[in-house]
Amino acid sequence: MITIDQQQKLLLNVARRLTKKINVYAIGGTAMMFLGFKDATLDIDLVFENKKDRDIFKEAVKSLGYLEMDAIKVYGVKRNTPEMFKLNDERFDLFVVEVIDFIFSDTMRQRAEQIHQFGDNLILKIANSHDIILMKCATDRIKDKDDARKIINSIKINWDVIITEAKKQMELGKERAAFDLGCFLEDLKTKMNIDIPQEVLDKLFLIVEKQAKDKISK
Amino acid sequence: MEKRELLQKLAGIQTIESVMDILKVDKRMAIYYIHSLRRDGYVKTRRQSNNRRVYNISLDNKLGGKSYYDIINFYSPIKISTPIIHKIYGREPSLEETLIFAIKTKSLRTILASLALFKKINNWVELYNLAKENHIERQVGALYDLARLVMKVRRMTNKYRNNALPNKEYQFDFLVPELRSKDFNEIENIWRIYLPFNKKDLEEYK
Repeated sequence: MITIDQQQKLLLNVARRLTKKINVYAIGGTAMMFLGFKDATLDIDLVFENKKDRDIFKEAVKSLGYLEMDAIKVYGVKRNTPEMFKLNDERFDLFVVEVIDFIFSDTMRQRAEQIHQFGDNLILKIANSHDIILMKCATDRIKDKDDARKIINSIKINWDVIITEAKKQMELGKERAAFDLGCFLEDLKTKMNIDIPQEVLDKLFLIVEKQAKDKISK
Repeated sequence: MEKRELLQKLAGIQTIESVMDILKVDKRMAIYYIHSLRRDGYVKTRRQSNNRRVYNISLDNKLGGKSYYDIINFYSPIKISTPIIHKIYGREPSLEETLIFAIKTKSLRTILASLALFKKINNWVELYNLAKENHIERQVGALYDLARLVMKVRRMTNKYRNNALPNKEYQFDFLVPELRSKDFNEIENIWRIYLPFNKKDLEEYK
């Protein structure tokens, strides 16, 4: 586990080794720590705008002694898994634009309002809480549901933002977005007793139904 | 009580009485809760003139770092709240950088508050380079001339002025989109920048 203080020191160390200014988005546990939902996290999940930026970041991380590891061990066989680097208990999961079955879209980028700049070269933008839930749905590891529960129980969720983003993901070609999100939220509601309005699930599954009908008619 | 819940309930400026009132606990428990938040770095304590403790409880205290707004508020008599979180770690942002940030926000109050930075700005080379990078050399020049009217400022170098002064063909530009006043036409014409402030806006500097 890595705490806020340790994470800041680590990111500063990485920033000092970067050869160019890069913008990166924090999702998952890291973002939750900056937003005050968590005190520690297992991994630092970052989304880059392009592969070149990730390569520069990778070099900096490697120079700190981090070793590459296989994403299958954590994410299983999925598309758009991250490049992962590990040292002791700390791990970096580095994505480029796509996070498993979701795209870190322009609207998500606009919603990322908090900026934390480390040194001169590392500009870390923190994903909005609503988008963190969507990303948790994308990665869907065991601890992700618990993290989503923490967010939903802590703040007032604007479910329209989440539904609209699911639709946007479908427009961007991620056909399963509404279905995956619906299943994820349904699991949270039934298995973890989280207060998610039935109306939200209905809306999501209506989108899926419409999508299926459209496909059949084609 | 979970730390997050406690932080959410107590976030802001508190006294021991307000903590007792919010949490509906006695003084002993209120002190315990403040102590546990302080141990995690969420609390900063100040003392009032009557020696009473005032607690500033916030997640920001734990995160540390420095924001441009902290710097503006430190130097300016006009205090502004923080509309967005932009924290910098591992280095101290310069005043020149802070001024450029303030202009780029295009926010009337942030720019107004940042005028006070001209009292301390003395690295005109850095300021010119940053302004040029962001294409706001004229905005900086116009604000400098404005600041000079209401406060004692460090002298702008001739090099900055000569390099930044526009030609007559330059189009007028806004500091704050679509906002202009009638009070500082002379400065506006020199720099070809519309200033959004009235004379009355600058009274707080006098």
